[in-house]
Amino acid sequence: MDFIITIAARLLEGMFVVGLLGSLGVLLVSFVEDAETLFDLEDKGHS
Amino acid sequence: MLTFISYWRAAAIVLNDLASSAFYACGIAEQAVGKSAPWFIVGVMLFSFTVRAVYVESCSMFVRGGVYRVVKEALGGTLAKLSVSALMFDYVLTGPISGVSAGQYIVGLLNEVMVTADAHGWIPRAVHNIFHGTPQLNVNWTSVVFALAVTIYYWWENIKGIHESSEKALWVMQITTVMVVMLLGWSGFTLLKNGFQHVPLPSPGNLHFTSESLGFLHHRFPGQSLPQMFGVLGILIAFGHSVLAMSGEESLAQVNRELAHPKLKNLKRTAIVIALYSFIFTGLTALLAVMLIPDSVRVPVYKDNLIAGLAMYMYGPEIVRLIFRGFVVVVGFLILSGAVNTAIIGSNGVLNRVSEDGVLADWFRLPHRKYGTSFRIINLIVGLQLFTIIASRGDVYALGEAYAFGVIWSFAFKGLAMLVLRFKYKGERGWKVPINFHIAGYEIPFGMASVTMVLLAVALVNLFTKSVATVSGVTFSAVFFVIFTLSEYANRKKHAKGQQQNDQFQLLQRDTVERESLNIHPGNILVPVRDYNTLTHLHWALEKINTLEQDVVVMSARISRFGAAAYDLTPEQIFSDYEQTLFTRAVAVAESFGKKVSLLVVPAVDVWAAIVQTANNLESSAVVAGVSSKMSPPEQAFNLGRAWEALPEPKRQFVFQVVYPDDHVESFRIGPHSPSMKDEDVLLLHRLWLNITREPGLDKLHHHEILREALTRFAHDYGARDRDDILKELRRLNATDAAESGRGSPNASPAPVVQRESDDGPPANRSS
Repeated sequence: MDFIITIAARLLEGMFVVGLLGSLGVLLVSFVEDAETLFDLEDKGHS
Repeated sequence: MLTFISYWRAAAIVLNDLASSAFYACGIAEQAVGKSAPWFIVGVMLFSFTVRAVYVESCSMFVRGGVYRVVKEALGGTLAKLSVSALMFDYVLTGPISGVSAGQYIVGLLNEVMVTADAHGWIPRAVHNIFHGTPQLNVNWTSVVFALAVTIYYWWENIKGIHESSEKALWVMQITTVMVVMLLGWSGFTLLKNGFQHVPLPSPGNLHFTSESLGFLHHRFPGQSLPQMFGVLGILIAFGHSVLAMSGEESLAQVNRELAHPKLKNLKRTAIVIALYSFIFTGLTALLAVMLIPDSVRVPVYKDNLIAGLAMYMYGPEIVRLIFRGFVVVVGFLILSGAVNTAIIGSNGVLNRVSEDGVLADWFRLPHRKYGTSFRIINLIVGLQLFTIIASRGDVYALGEAYAFGVIWSFAFKGLAMLVLRFKYKGERGWKVPINFHIAGYEIPFGMASVTMVLLAVALVNLFTKSVATVSGVTFSAVFFVIFTLSEYANRKKHAKGQQQNDQFQLLQRDTVERESLNIHPGNILVPVRDYNTLTHLHWALEKINTLEQDVVVMSARISRFGAAAYDLTPEQIFSDYEQTLFTRAVAVAESFGKKVSLLVVPAVDVWAAIVQTANNLESSAVVAGVSSKMSPPEQAFNLGRAWEALPEPKRQFVFQVVYPDDHVESFRIGPHSPSMKDEDVLLLHRLWLNITREPGLDKLHHHEILREALTRFAHDYGARDRDDILKELRRLNATDAAESGRGSPNASPAPVVQRESDDGPPANRSS
């Protein structure tokens, strides 16, 4: 039973760590687009 | 009338829920994980930026892109009902936790004021004796009373309608912003003057779980330190205890349908505003609370009103701090009670969506007779909230623990569904969560998968560490799931299988169509609709028109033998199931643009007469119709022109535009107008003008004066001896024209007062 719990815990930890790293990437990539949207630079760039 | 709100209003509604978490999230998290809790709150608020991105993507796919719709598309009806049950648990708890927390702030202040007053001898001895000391209110039960009062107040506000509610939400956020600026500024000054306490880093060694915060795991590993056993698992557990700080993101999906044009851009702006605001407010306030409030009082005294405690430990005179605390309490009361409002709006939106899919009985969605709101759904939600408030007995920690269950599971279902839809959904998608790369022609949604993994990991670990939440959340969700399933079964028996449920409309009956009473401005665009499968023309009109400057009226002519003036038609005779479906589709088109439209049903004997009569009464500048399956656009214009001729004076001209399925448009002018002249006629007129102006005294003659003289002579001849000859000649000319233009029978009558136009857009509002 403890073995299964350990495996499950490690699996959750793995998901969490990989997910957090990927989410950090999402955060950084979307930062520029967010700034453009907020300051209305999207349209100006296209016009 | 279907109206939409600005992104500021939308952000205010969502923030009333999301930012209100700042008032209780850190207190709950610190009780569960220890002094390093603020770092987890900051982490959760940063992570909320990515959850917000998931919601933006889902709303860019579906106007009503909440959990239910998305999970249903991706994972099917059963899991959709399960996810929406978890979401309802979230919403039902949002109101009570916010209301009770508001009560805690108020009662905390009142008790402190009484202690101060007693210390100064301002409380009469007799009162002191009655209470056997300083009079103190029972914090939890008084908070319950406050929560009940606030919930009942917002119940009534929502029965009256969302617009009034969004107005208040905006006002509450303006006052909250003033408080946040003061709080952060003064805290910064205090940090410089008084110094600060160290906030332990979020490492496993700094985590201090209680037996309560380990839930079922405490029973499995009694006396053992899980963070030290597993390391990262401790971080995950602590993150799970802090996740309620980002509750409220679902409200973004609920307000999306109310957002004004341009929809996607305004949705993104709303999402950014709420994420930034809540990060600054909730995240920084949590850190400041631990940095400035001494350990000895932070949890024991201020755990349920942490920002009030922060106000009391600012640098400055006590009286000023007490006044600021009073301001904090007022703002806390406003925003937390605003969260009660948002919870009602959000859950009303969710249950309406579920109900549209036939999962809830139609009975729930029938509009209020006076206000047109879905009052039965609101009653159900508020009833559950009132029960929860009383059952909680004012315990914010217990409410918070349970609340996190609904929050994280609705997010987890949402993330999973959106991940599946990346592979399954082939329709329009306005925006995608970033970090997508391609391998062997397949798109790998790395960003979306990452967010989903975090959400699922937190949801699963919370199942074991939040025993109260798991038991109450699973029970509540199961009950709601059973209600949804039984209700859906009953609805399926009632309606034809697979039949889409329609929106509910509130009918306001009038004897005549009058522009002023319908609050429609002159120069509006009238869009007659009949077939709900062909609304291309409404799509075209909404695409071209700025509805802030020009009203769009969607009109359905209900053919009736009684005619337009019949007063005794029942609502069912005027507004049948067909009209309901038709307007449901029309509203969906308007929602997709975020542009307001007015809906109108006109009983009529003749559809053409109804259109021109309505256009005339509303002082419309244009009528925009689709191509008829029975007649060509010129024939449609002819019928409309003939109906216009029969209209009594006074009557107005308008442009009639027929939109083809490929968006090509034919325009006709209805009413007296300058005729279109052929080139040779213009040349003839010009030659005549040149010759005549050479005559003495006629050098300043105008073309129109020659035309007037020619027409006067023509009228004279037509009314006298040359009538037959003139008619013979006109028939010959008409036959020649018909042959040249290839429009068929030379005997076809020209449309009365109809002129073909060449413009491609609806006429601008002439009255503006």
